[in-house]
Amino acid sequence: MSEKKVEARKPFTFATYWQRFGTISILLLLLVVLAVAKPTSVFSATSIPQILRQSAVNILLALGEFFAILLGYIDLSVSAACGLTGMVAALLMRGGCPWVLACVAGVLCGTLIGACNGFLINKTGLHPFIITLGMQTIYFGLMLVISSSASVYGFPAGFSGFMNGNLFGFLPVGAIIALIAAGILWFFTTKTKAGRNLYALGGNREAAWYSGINVHRHQMLVYMISGTCAGLAGIVLTGRLNAAAPTAGTGYETYAIAATIIGGTSFFGGVGKIPGVVAGGLIIGIINYGMTVLMIDASMQKVVMGALIIIAVTLDHFVSKSSSK
Amino acid sequence: MEPLIRMVGITKTFPGVKALDNISFDILPGEVHMLIGENGAGKSTLMKILSGVYQPTSGKIICNGHEYSELTTKTSQDEGIAIVYQELSVINELSILENLFVGKLMTKKRFGLPVVDYKGMLEKARTVLDQVGLKHDPSTLVGDLAIPDKQLCEIAKALVSGAKVIVLDEPTTSLTTSEVERLHGLIRELKKQGCGIVYISHKMKELHQIGDRITVLKDGTYVGTYPASEVTLDDLIRLMVGREISGTYFAEESAEELMTHPVIFEAKDITRADGTCRHVSFQLHEGEILGFAGLVGAGRTETMEAIFGAVPRQSGQVFLKGKELTIHEPYAAIKQGIGMLTEDRRKLGFAKNFSCKQNISLAPFIKTSTMGGLGGMLDPASEQKWADEQVAALSIKCTSPDQMTVNLSGGNQQKVILGKWMAAESEVLIFDEPTKGIDVGSKSEIYILMRRLAQQGKGVLMVSSEQTELLSVCDRIAVFRDGELKDILEGKTATEEEIVKISTGE
Repeated sequence: MSEKKVEARKPFTFATYWQRFGTISILLLLLVVLAVAKPTSVFSATSIPQILRQSAVNILLALGEFFAILLGYIDLSVSAACGLTGMVAALLMRGGCPWVLACVAGVLCGTLIGACNGFLINKTGLHPFIITLGMQTIYFGLMLVISSSASVYGFPAGFSGFMNGNLFGFLPVGAIIALIAAGILWFFTTKTKAGRNLYALGGNREAAWYSGINVHRHQMLVYMISGTCAGLAGIVLTGRLNAAAPTAGTGYETYAIAATIIGGTSFFGGVGKIPGVVAGGLIIGIINYGMTVLMIDASMQKVVMGALIIIAVTLDHFVSKSSSK
Repeated sequence: MEPLIRMVGITKTFPGVKALDNISFDILPGEVHMLIGENGAGKSTLMKILSGVYQPTSGKIICNGHEYSELTTKTSQDEGIAIVYQELSVINELSILENLFVGKLMTKKRFGLPVVDYKGMLEKARTVLDQVGLKHDPSTLVGDLAIPDKQLCEIAKALVSGAKVIVLDEPTTSLTTSEVERLHGLIRELKKQGCGIVYISHKMKELHQIGDRITVLKDGTYVGTYPASEVTLDDLIRLMVGREISGTYFAEESAEELMTHPVIFEAKDITRADGTCRHVSFQLHEGEILGFAGLVGAGRTETMEAIFGAVPRQSGQVFLKGKELTIHEPYAAIKQGIGMLTEDRRKLGFAKNFSCKQNISLAPFIKTSTMGGLGGMLDPASEQKWADEQVAALSIKCTSPDQMTVNLSGGNQQKVILGKWMAAESEVLIFDEPTKGIDVGSKSEIYILMRRLAQQGKGVLMVSSEQTELLSVCDRIAVFRDGELKDILEGKTATEEEIVKISTGE
């Protein structure tokens, strides 16, 4: 017992490889499949911007969802928050508000939505699944109310031009926004105390409390981040479609959760990284894009998407299980 | 006498580690066979082979004339082996009756179809519950039972399945003295009926109270098997640890001298809204270790939680070096220099997804944070320094500070948690059952560390249910009963009888 044990170097196995490069492998695999099935869908000047454009909203929503899942919780309201904030910005623009101001207001509206979620979760002590499920319905309802159930369009040329522009000709503005958000959040999770605290909370909430980490304050922070990301996603979505539909965002929480889990985040909390989440969001985007270019029927797309999510998560589950033995 | 079970030449290797090396072990009918050894000696691995959870690399197991090269959980049960683990495996959501028969419901034929025979099960349950002395109705939900009763329920479950060999893994860790008496009475009954009992314990006192033979393991090797009547405690400790462990850890000064030292910490009139502790007041002088004795639930841990801010208190004040502290959450306590090592290490002590380094840095990072714990940047250089310092100072056995805390032994996990508070430069440390489930060698290391902290002028409070440890470490012992602090005794002169008398009110 007294002599120091020398740690055996981990043998290189599929499991260790998968832990590090699993998400990126799925991503590359999908691109290869797509390239074989329809070469022009990958090797063309418009494919990359198209994929990024499709992925931006997914990535932004997944970034917010990531924090809820990191705590071992969930945020089902990101879809409705995305739709509602987009609608708020759209109505403000139609009402004559300068578009930059309207966008800021939309994002802040997302922050406020997150704060409402956090407040209710802290005050009621109920599981966030229940709270955010209820709030999702409320936000979707509010969207219908404020829009009188009609689509809103006709935005200032500045907004439409900005949101549909490309940097260097291939980086859509939406993707840039998503990447900047990811960069800030990556910094937050790896370099700040609050970020580290979230991992401790996700790993063991009670031990974290006994280590001086205030559970309520951090929960509030998490849902405000989630709401803010949803707000950004709402603006990007409204810009991409150049319209705000009264049902925009419906079902997006599924994609956000799937992207987070495929990106290597543990559903039980405490484990996960921002780059993985970005890759997860891209995977969802590629699947969507691929099915569109392969002319898969829109209704069938949902079936395929669901199946792919289950396959990816199952694979991950079994691999991480065998590697922990 | 023919043994019920004989394990011969058992070796078990895990990748890179030899957990058991050629161990032999047998269990006679009607005996209590104590299995002892430090944490990591291989006791649990050996029992997991007996229960079929692990398969041995080599060796054989002979039960009832059948020879096996390995057991499965099914064959183990069929051969009448039952294990009562420290973390009980009863199902809280089911009744006692359902727990007893879980997985093996009795059936009868009705209209040619098998249906559950509740009447038959009830009869059998009553006999067995009677036997173990569990007085609750079989329809009671197990979740409503106290821990000792859950344990009895688990033993009853073993009897229902017709177990001839019952393994008890540290059965008395969370029991009070009288509950231990009751359990030991039951074990003597089972002996009379010809059951073989394997009893794993870290409590040295129990070895001679209940044991017939004692087998000692050390670092996965077999040291020997001895009749309990022929070995002394000192012999056994030497065999287990390989060195003598000195007896007491008191301060050099007498209690009177210590009382003249300045008061560094004071609690006044601590009362909790739920009434689990009421009007508790005490003072801690520089250089002394103050112990807290009493039955489980007497209000010791409850008082500490209130002082630390983990649970809100209704009234009371806390002073550190004469300055009053405002504490309404652990965050505030830590900021002002108080640390608490909780009783339940796995649940409350450390984050299981964190390395030793990350767990150690939790408290110092919080202490230097702003905005209620939300503000501030991580500082990798300090983090590495804290971890290296504590690993060296506390001689934490880990491959590197980056090893996951959850993979360390209990004693080393406790040291990581202690390291967290040392790194945060806590002025007052509350130790709640600091040596629970920890082997003799690590126990003495922890006592020595506590004493060193006290000598350095830190405040040390120690809650413990093991009176022998309070009586060998604490300069004064506060005794609790029914949520109140009843008396404070002098550690060097107090006796176990005195403490029992005050804590039970007899």
